[in-house]
Amino acid sequence: MIRAILADDEVLARQKLRQLLRDEPEIEIVGEGASASETIDLVRATEPDLLFLDIRMPGMDGFDIIGKLSASSDPAAMPRIIFTTAHDSYALRAFEIHAVDYLLKPFTSERLHSAVQRAHEEIYTAKQNAGRNNLWPQNPPAYTTRIVFKSRGRILFLPVSDIRWIGAEENYARICTGAEKHLLRETMSHLEEKLDPQMFLRVHRSAIVNLQYLKEVRTEPSGEFTVVLVDGQKIAMSRSFHARITEWMAGS
Amino acid sequence: MHPAIFVSASVLLGTLFALQEWITVHLWSYHIGLRILFAAWWVQYFLWGVLCWLLWRWCGPWIQRANVLCIFTQVLPLSIVTSVVEEMIWVACFPQLPLNRPHMTYWHRLAFHLDAEFIDNLVVFWCAVALFRGIGYYQKFREKEAAAAQLSVQLAQAQIAALRMQLNPHFLFNTMNSISSLMRTDIAAADTMLEQLGSLLRITLERGEVQFIRLNDEMEFVEMYLAMQERRFTGRVHQQLWVHPELHDALVPAMILQPLIENAYTHGLSRLDSNGLLHIEATREDSRLTLSVLNNGAGLNSSPPKVSDGQGVGLANIKSRLQLHYGDQHTFSIREVATDQVEVTITFPLQFSASPAETLTRFGA
Repeated sequence: MIRAILADDEVLARQKLRQLLRDEPEIEIVGEGASASETIDLVRATEPDLLFLDIRMPGMDGFDIIGKLSASSDPAAMPRIIFTTAHDSYALRAFEIHAVDYLLKPFTSERLHSAVQRAHEEIYTAKQNAGRNNLWPQNPPAYTTRIVFKSRGRILFLPVSDIRWIGAEENYARICTGAEKHLLRETMSHLEEKLDPQMFLRVHRSAIVNLQYLKEVRTEPSGEFTVVLVDGQKIAMSRSFHARITEWMAGS
Repeated sequence: MHPAIFVSASVLLGTLFALQEWITVHLWSYHIGLRILFAAWWVQYFLWGVLCWLLWRWCGPWIQRANVLCIFTQVLPLSIVTSVVEEMIWVACFPQLPLNRPHMTYWHRLAFHLDAEFIDNLVVFWCAVALFRGIGYYQKFREKEAAAAQLSVQLAQAQIAALRMQLNPHFLFNTMNSISSLMRTDIAAADTMLEQLGSLLRITLERGEVQFIRLNDEMEFVEMYLAMQERRFTGRVHQQLWVHPELHDALVPAMILQPLIENAYTHGLSRLDSNGLLHIEATREDSRLTLSVLNNGAGLNSSPPKVSDGQGVGLANIKSRLQLHYGDQHTFSIREVATDQVEVTITFPLQFSASPAETLTRFGA
């Protein structure tokens, strides 16, 4: 069970969250705060796992609340944060303080669902690690685990594990997840540098593939190689990269 | 104007006069020192250069504005005074002149030189006055020209803003009506559409009154719009979108595609029950950008263009914006490329955004 608190000064905004969260069986709402001070008291009293937090609230903003809470409590007891806000300008700050997600109002139930799923994963992993007395990894990971960007009027904190493959389009890279495609202004070499080589493999000058979603490597009748993903997506592969992938497949 | 300009111009003039006199003197076989001859002319015109500069600094605007009465009552006395003062300074500088004469007092020499040069001095003064007034007229002319140019730019911007205003509300209220309708039948769909509308409004507001945007941003808007249309025409229309990878950073007028797509739906695709095709493409031909929207809804003949309906407004709007932005450099065409397939094509000069794209993208743990 995930114990959650809703903090928003608008009653209709809290009502929406409450109603949508009824469809999330693992969430138990333990309190609702309509102001900053109320929220701080509630969090201290109930020690929830998850906090749905509006940013602009009377008195203090959402980041002040987090500052107050983290100053007075041990970091392991801090709840995970999902921001719900009408403003997109705080996204980077939210990303930097490791918020789970950033929902721009109005959001859909699907969008909320994916945020809750991610919070669930994070809380579950943290609880498992807590048993081994190792909440935060001592060294920050050497590679990117998630990317923040704006796409079609939404803010996404995309875990790189959701990326199936990346295709180059001149100065841009098209990032393909299961359901969507996003165009980012990034070079392939920069992305390759940022992504964990254990997870992502450059198979062509213009393609990077997530090995988790790799189904097979085919040799076409023409003698050229193709990478096939689990969803059937075919990606051309350079000869020079062929050795790398067969090596990887032999190893796994 | 810098004093050096006055001084160097008038000293150059003095040099020419000195050369002229030197040649005359040679022709008449007089004997006169080269040094004294040039010194006299140079000092004369150096003095004039300084005086003209002082005149420009202190009285320039006044001279430019002066009317006829003012010229007679004030500039004329000033010209006489200036001419005499210039001569007085010059005479004081050259006590040995005139050459080969018995000793003369200062006042005698002044009278002698004024007799010879007073009219010349007046001519120099009035030339300077004429020049100042000429400069004044030229400046005024340039200012008027600049103001006229600015005015036409402002007018064009106001027109473009007005045209964009025609686009947004039209689309906004139609969508709100769709949501209102969906609310009664399908709450989840209404919710999704509301989120999509929120996203669309957010990027439209962020964009503000910018007239040109990257094709990448325009296409993002188009994708969002298409997603909303897909909800209305579930499965009836197959949407295809293709942008040449080199063109993501090309500059296009903001909201140039949406009216064309809306048009394809209202006048073509909405008449089909299935197998609709909407193909949107951005291609490049040397230094020109081509945007095309093709639909297989109905031929051109089946929808007689009426100025009163949406088509008239939307397309006329696009045409006038292209005309305002590109003049004769653009093309706009509507063709029936195959039976029941209508393609709208616009082309204009390819330009790329000079400023680097601002992105929110960050990588993190």
